[in-house]
Amino acid sequence: MSTNAHLQKYTNRLRKLGQGLSIISNSRVAVIGLSIILFWVFIALFAPIIAPRDPLAQDSSAINQDPSTTYLLGTDHLGRDILSRLMYGTRTILTLAPTSVLTSVCIGTTLGLISGYFGGLIDEVVMRLLDAVMAFPAILLYLIIIAAIGPSALNVVIAITFVGTPGIARLVRSLTLDIRTRDYIRAAETRGENPFYIMFVEILPNVRGPLIIDSLLRVGYAIFAIGTLGFLGLGLPPPEPDWGGMVADARKFIWINPLGVLWPILAIASLVVGLNLFADGLREETTRYQ
Amino acid sequence: MLRYILRRLGFMLLTMLLVSIVVFLVSEVAPGDVARHVLGQFATDEQVELLRNQMGLNQPLYVRYFDWLVGNDWRHDSKVGMPLTYTRARPGDELEWWAVEPDGTLVQWRMKSGSLEQIRITTDGERTLVPFDEWDTNKDGEEIFWGVDNANHVVLWVKGSEDSTGPASAGRTMTKGGGREYYPLKKGLLRGDPGISLRTNRPVGPTLTRRLRNSFSLAVIAFAFIMPIALLLGILAGLREGSPADRAISLFSLITTSIPEFASGVFLILVFSFWLDLLPGASVFVDDSTPLENPKMIVLPILTLTLVEVGYVARMTRASMVEVMNAPYIRTAVLKGLPYRRIVFVHALRNALMAPITVIMLHVNWLVGGIVVVEAVYGYPGVGLYLLDSAMFKDINAIEAGSMVMVALAVSTQLIADIIYTFLNPRIRYT
Repeated sequence: MSTNAHLQKYTNRLRKLGQGLSIISNSRVAVIGLSIILFWVFIALFAPIIAPRDPLAQDSSAINQDPSTTYLLGTDHLGRDILSRLMYGTRTILTLAPTSVLTSVCIGTTLGLISGYFGGLIDEVVMRLLDAVMAFPAILLYLIIIAAIGPSALNVVIAITFVGTPGIARLVRSLTLDIRTRDYIRAAETRGENPFYIMFVEILPNVRGPLIIDSLLRVGYAIFAIGTLGFLGLGLPPPEPDWGGMVADARKFIWINPLGVLWPILAIASLVVGLNLFADGLREETTRYQ
Repeated sequence: MLRYILRRLGFMLLTMLLVSIVVFLVSEVAPGDVARHVLGQFATDEQVELLRNQMGLNQPLYVRYFDWLVGNDWRHDSKVGMPLTYTRARPGDELEWWAVEPDGTLVQWRMKSGSLEQIRITTDGERTLVPFDEWDTNKDGEEIFWGVDNANHVVLWVKGSEDSTGPASAGRTMTKGGGREYYPLKKGLLRGDPGISLRTNRPVGPTLTRRLRNSFSLAVIAFAFIMPIALLLGILAGLREGSPADRAISLFSLITTSIPEFASGVFLILVFSFWLDLLPGASVFVDDSTPLENPKMIVLPILTLTLVEVGYVARMTRASMVEVMNAPYIRTAVLKGLPYRRIVFVHALRNALMAPITVIMLHVNWLVGGIVVVEAVYGYPGVGLYLLDSAMFKDINAIEAGSMVMVALAVSTQLIADIIYTFLNPRIRYT
């Protein structure tokens, strides 16, 4: 029986995966978005192999150069190879963004589940606090947080997590409120299950769908935010290759080396647009089936 | 309704109070020292310590907070023994703290080559300098005097002491033979004075007002462009769901909104000021002139904001329009044989615009963020750039004032959005 059951399980999984893929491939927009994302993921993974130079190596004899055969995209104001810096910068941004979204999903989901499932005073307190956080312009929160704890990779993640958590908590709470009334939850309660078992094993899997799409959009937003923080000088401290910081640096030399500012802009724009296209296409396709 | 509004306003004040405390605490634990920032990296530790003393940074945190909130002149005037006032001594002067004699004469003191000198300005504006020698004797037998100096402190001077050689920088005029104790005078935010910027050593109030005016003009002009374009695009797309026009508009708005302001801003500089050489790439203008006097300078900032914001509003409008056009009552109207024009303008639009309007008001937070970045890109002297510079400098008075303004703005727009929504939606209004 066990082999049969296993087989059944795997075919089920495969079928689900197939459905997922067909949802993606049905939407041209989602396919384009996904290819852009995969392109950057590829660059991030293989940056040490494909990057032609050391991203931190300075060449004082080749400052602010136009693209050439030695420096494919030219050099920046310290004579560093822009192409290599872009490639390594992909690694930074593609680690920080998902990390910060993941942490805010963990915290936000927990808060939302607790708030929605228990209700009452806990719900009231948690939601009022989150409302207070959401009432602020995100940029002000970033400024205050980064000013307090100083610019570093970890602190960027902390700031973005802090800003992103309330939205996720609200989403999960509203879904939980709906699911809580279902019969299978009632059944679990009658069985005498632990509230945390109910929250994380019974409810959580059922909020997965909307949560995944929301998280995808949030990764796009996190990249947006990381770039902006870097541009404002609140991101990674130099000399780390950071796209936002590269734009800020190159902007000072825009009259000498206009292309130097163009590359990081194109990079960040394409990545964010790719993510948004993917998330949007996915959302459109999934809602169509519902 | 009135009770509801009052309760929300109370909630808003509470939020602002909490935020002000949090900002104070946060800036306390933040790395870096504002006195060190002011003096630069070559100042000696003694100089930094002295400036910290003069800035009142050595007082406990809660004292500084309450001084900032409600002022401290009423705590310190007993030391001087005269009422203190924050006023312009003569028309055209800066706002300064003065001690007031019974006949209305304004008095300050300053240390000049080891002895005190009184600056007196009578009510008719006549300024005289009088050597001063009315020292008190404290219990240690030192000759001391509490007075107001010409940089807005209550100072304890000790005769013949070699206490301090003041650092002179960033407009701070401290000379040899300064005082022993300094209490920077503040009127307090609740009494309408956000204090003095530690970065520029000038009152925060006027600067912030000017910066706010600049940001506000930028936002209003941008809004005037964004709204009609976005609503038009959104309605057009929503009316023809799935058509090529709809797809094009949706894709365009998705792309423009997802690109960060700094990227599109710098890109526009590249195109319009570098390659085409049509417009200036920075919006730096003297503080006194208004943005409207330099229309060329604000074209690019507005274009940047428009690019980022139009898409968002258009998508909102489109979604709402699509929903309304699929509603049963629209089908009824079509089946009744009403002209299409009438269905769209009379039946659909009213309901379709309700959702976007409130969402747009809530979107003000986002717009604020956009404006901060756009100001940073173009060097536009607005409140966002002011806040950014102040945060980098740990200029606590400026940060606090800026945050208060932003929080008030954010919370009150939400309130306004709720009220507008109530008036637009009879289902809420009549319950």
